[in-house]
Amino acid sequence: MIRRVVLAVALLGALLVPQVGNDYYVHLFALVFINVILAASLRPSLTCGQLNIGHSGFMCIGAYTSALLAKHYALPFELTLVIGALLAALVGTAIGYPSLRLRGVYFAMVTVAFVEVIRLIAAIWVPLTRGNSGLSSIPKPNLLGTTLTTRAGQYYLIVALTVVTLLILWKLEQSRLGLIWKGIGMADHLAQSLGVNIAAYKLLAFMIGCFFAGVAGALYAHFIRFLFPPEFGFLVATNILVYNFVGGRGHFIGPIVGAIFLSLLSEPFRGSAYETIFFSIAMLLTILFLPGGIITLPGKLAGFRWGRAASAPTPSPAG
Amino acid sequence: MALLETRGLTKHFGGLAAVQGVDLAVGDGEIVGLIGPNGAGKTTCFNLLSGFLPPTSGTIHFAGEDITGLRSHAIVRRGLVRTFQHTTLFQDMTALENVLLGLHLHSATGLRHALFSRESFPREEIEQCRTVLDFTGLGAHADQLARNLPHGHQRILGIAMALAARPRLLLLDEPVTGMNLDESGRVMALVKTIRDRGTTILLVEHNMKAVMGTCGRIVVLNFGQKLAEGTPAEVSTNPAVIEAYLGAGLEHARS
Repeated sequence: MIRRVVLAVALLGALLVPQVGNDYYVHLFALVFINVILAASLRPSLTCGQLNIGHSGFMCIGAYTSALLAKHYALPFELTLVIGALLAALVGTAIGYPSLRLRGVYFAMVTVAFVEVIRLIAAIWVPLTRGNSGLSSIPKPNLLGTTLTTRAGQYYLIVALTVVTLLILWKLEQSRLGLIWKGIGMADHLAQSLGVNIAAYKLLAFMIGCFFAGVAGALYAHFIRFLFPPEFGFLVATNILVYNFVGGRGHFIGPIVGAIFLSLLSEPFRGSAYETIFFSIAMLLTILFLPGGIITLPGKLAGFRWGRAASAPTPSPAG
Repeated sequence: MALLETRGLTKHFGGLAAVQGVDLAVGDGEIVGLIGPNGAGKTTCFNLLSGFLPPTSGTIHFAGEDITGLRSHAIVRRGLVRTFQHTTLFQDMTALENVLLGLHLHSATGLRHALFSRESFPREEIEQCRTVLDFTGLGAHADQLARNLPHGHQRILGIAMALAARPRLLLLDEPVTGMNLDESGRVMALVKTIRDRGTTILLVEHNMKAVMGTCGRIVVLNFGQKLAEGTPAEVSTNPAVIEAYLGAGLEHARS
């Protein structure tokens, strides 16, 4: 019940941003929601125990694909979005298939290399991407025949797709698929002994994550309307990971909370050298004081209060 | 035709022959014990049979089909399911969720169910899991986290998960390790009931009382090779087996 109220309030708040805030806030919250998609879509892979530090590379693929198709071929947004996301998932499959047998840090290294390769391709392939001069004048999202010209309209598009993405990811996590991912993360050889094809399920988790990273990329491209390779580098990918850890990995809401919290708090440092410092400190504080992430904070606070009350002897049921 | 049959099963780790030319046959409906001193190759044998390790040479036939070199999930699909020596569970899941994962192969739910159904799991699958839990005596603990169960219950939960996969042959790796007399007695009774319901059993166990009282036939391994085979009475009086377990005795000490 409380959960529903919180969700309703959050959604209402999100919808009200363009009504009460100026363009700055619309811009800010649009980026927050894109970060939410990125953080939530990293979760399936993390649940399987795969440390993916290359998520922004797949976002990059979705962003450039969607932008270039819209710009050069005037394709509608619903099409460029899907193509961008599918291409991201396809590249994810190509990267994931050989490397998902690697574990822990070795897999992480592959994804780090990948994200840098993608960034370099975007920087070097000048005829296509305009390289480090950046790809500019990307069309506004043209959805179902109408171009979303207002900032508010584009913002609502992002909110809507964030909600759809989260719903899909939530349903998947609640299903048998989610249970299998969790099982692989906890004890992969046990899952294997019960007949789970762990390589296939890890790949599926990775593909789904890449698909939605591609969605986030396409939304970003048509909202900011300017793409610049360094914005998809390794540091961005680590930020997505930090959202998950700081928010908390124990529940679906964790990465969402982490992304909202950190995106808003880091806003004053965006683009500066302090941004990295901020994220590092956030990560360190989490490891030291809240290993379960922000989502465990309410429980900890409550436990703290009960702990004090319990100094008086209280009868405990069933010892 | 035996349900499980290995010929010349061999596994080398570098220069070490962990399993060397083992011929093993398990008939339908048997309870076979695999015993031997520590390091005899029992668990390696299990890893080979269940596809967790590829054999260096030799063949494994299960239900008339050559399953040598198949990957473990493919072997489980054919009805050969194993448990682990050390307590291995999905610790942060409830007992019911653990068994739900055991049911994995027999669940028909796909992506469409995942996305469009209100229920995470079909009611009949939950029911099946509860039946398995009731059968193993864990029915009352269905909603407890695996990590909070006592050791004996955790071991039994491991068996319950394997049962949910509906094995034709169940490999139990030290099912009563660390249990007291009472608990191990109950587990071995459970093993017999499982067999009576039509699942063949091959088990590794160091608890000789449990092995002798339960198994119809016993295979003894020593240094990776088959040392002896026979009924509990035959094996326990076999001089070679006694020597392997207790040493050669005075004769050997003098020389």
